[in-house]
Amino acid sequence: MVPFGFLDWFWLIAFIVLMVGSGVRFYRLGKRSESDFFLAGRGLPWWLPASSVYATHTATDTPMWVSGVVYRFGLSGLWYTFYAAWCSISAFVSTKIFRRSLAYTQAEWQSLRFGGMSGELLRGWVAGWQVFLNMFVLGWVGIAMGKVCGFIFGWPLWVGLIVFSSICGLYVITAGYWGVVMADFQQGVIAFIMIVIVSIWGIHAAGGAHEIIDKLHAMGEAGRLNPFNFTGFFEGDFPVAWFITMMFIGILGGLGMATAIDWFPEAQRIQSARTVKDASWSIWAGSALVIVRNALWAAAILGFFVLYPNLQDVKDYEMAWFRLGFENLPAGMIGFFFAAIVAIHISTISTHLNLGAVYITRDLYHHYINPNATQHQLVWVGRAGTLLLLLGSFVFGSIMENITEWLIFALWIMAAGVWLPGILQVLWWRFNGWGYLTAWIFNLVFSWLVVWVLPAFGVIPHLRDYQQFWILMILGALVFVPVTFATKPENMDRLVKFYVMCRPIGWWGPVRREAEKRGLLKYGEDQDQRRE
Amino acid sequence: MGKIRIRGGNKMGWIQRKWTAEQADRWTKEDYITFILSPLIYFLLALGVALSLLLLWYGWVILGVSVVLFVVMVKIIDPKLKAISEDYEMKQKKYLEELEKIVRWED
Repeated sequence: MVPFGFLDWFWLIAFIVLMVGSGVRFYRLGKRSESDFFLAGRGLPWWLPASSVYATHTATDTPMWVSGVVYRFGLSGLWYTFYAAWCSISAFVSTKIFRRSLAYTQAEWQSLRFGGMSGELLRGWVAGWQVFLNMFVLGWVGIAMGKVCGFIFGWPLWVGLIVFSSICGLYVITAGYWGVVMADFQQGVIAFIMIVIVSIWGIHAAGGAHEIIDKLHAMGEAGRLNPFNFTGFFEGDFPVAWFITMMFIGILGGLGMATAIDWFPEAQRIQSARTVKDASWSIWAGSALVIVRNALWAAAILGFFVLYPNLQDVKDYEMAWFRLGFENLPAGMIGFFFAAIVAIHISTISTHLNLGAVYITRDLYHHYINPNATQHQLVWVGRAGTLLLLLGSFVFGSIMENITEWLIFALWIMAAGVWLPGILQVLWWRFNGWGYLTAWIFNLVFSWLVVWVLPAFGVIPHLRDYQQFWILMILGALVFVPVTFATKPENMDRLVKFYVMCRPIGWWGPVRREAEKRGLLKYGEDQDQRRE
Repeated sequence: MGKIRIRGGNKMGWIQRKWTAEQADRWTKEDYITFILSPLIYFLLALGVALSLLLLWYGWVILGVSVVLFVVMVKIIDPKLKAISEDYEMKQKKYLEELEKIVRWED
């Protein structure tokens, strides 16, 4: 337990009042329309969605995850956290294309890109999956807060889970995305300042940068300073093959949509930006901050390793960054640090509450149940959806210890077999809704077989995660490519409208020529494009 | 690599800095250069910040290179993004109405 003085409690309460107050303050803007409640009226300058991207992806469990991999692998652990690199390409490809589509959500994008029954099935599936996934993430992050509160105050897990998520729910229910993004901005600033302070303080506590390096050499652990400390091409904990796969998935994934689970919150931030340019820079800058944050943590965790080199239990070393703060900051600063942790926590909670609610409202209620709903009704459905997600997250959080392994598997399903189709839906005009739907369905089957069933019966060995990725990608392609060619292309009218509006990159020749024939693109434009 | 002649826009050397809306809508070499620079900057940023905090001289060099590359990238791609945005915002209202029609499930 960590002793809290008067000043510590003052910081904590002041920050909570500030955070909730700044969110609730935007109540009047949030209630105006569906577009305001979920996209802040599509009018935000780049730095607001950027700070929201950064704040959202800095959750209570993130320092635990980064601490764990850097403690185990040294600076090589940085690459485990490098998945945000997909935004480096996405900012200038899929972000631009998605912003031009004006779709509220990725589910809506599916019914814009793909028509007929397959488009509808995809929209319903993606919406349902996102409601579930956001509830799960809320439970996951909420229980991580429960653990932190248990470490600091000795509270039972459920207290930290329920109290802080409920506080956050207050301003998300009242002000919607306006509240989320405004609170995210100040939460992001507070969290970043504290990450810098604690990391520098931690390095100082370990004797300073030179001392850390000297001690690592003396301990025979100098390899931890090498970010490319590979253990072989295929062998060991950190093989080159894994690194190449990670870079391949991370960077090229930015060409497509829904190739990473982080795409879904980003998609909402992309649409909330006031222009295409603002959308691109918001995604780039927000993820650049994530990359910098991970590097700040990594250096400090090396200091923690020098202080505590022999921790074997993951539960001990995953708390490294928290311990650096709570064990070394002076009296009065502990409350400030905990307030920053609360900021980190509720910025993630607020995003997923509002994001899950947009799928309930826009893609399920507005699309299927009441297409003629008034703006007033839609805002209230958004609020009810937010409350539903909040309550569901308490249930998920309370059973999380038992189901984590299953749910990590569910996330893996999301990532592996639909990674390539996620790219093809943007790059290739001929890829159709049935191909994408098939990829989803067969990915469920193949991932069960490859990850669980076949190794359990000894048919194949237990494979490393990067091996599973390649196998699932190839197996999926063996099914969805033939299905795509065996079924009709999407309706040309739909494709032409989509192309003119979104201007996707890649293989769109027949659609472009049709658009040109209809006078929707200028002839010279097309000639120039072919010449290039 | 020879110079690529692009009609209708002013050029500053090899990189085009002034764009018409039609030109900016195409995928050009400025986009492809950005596709290379952008992940490279992230990569160098991660290394540069971590190594600089450990006061290693090459960390500062890497960080410096990432900042310079970022400035270069902004110079290359920002004018194009600006041209796309200005043109697109004028059409956005019409596209929003179109979107509502396309995605309505009764259709």
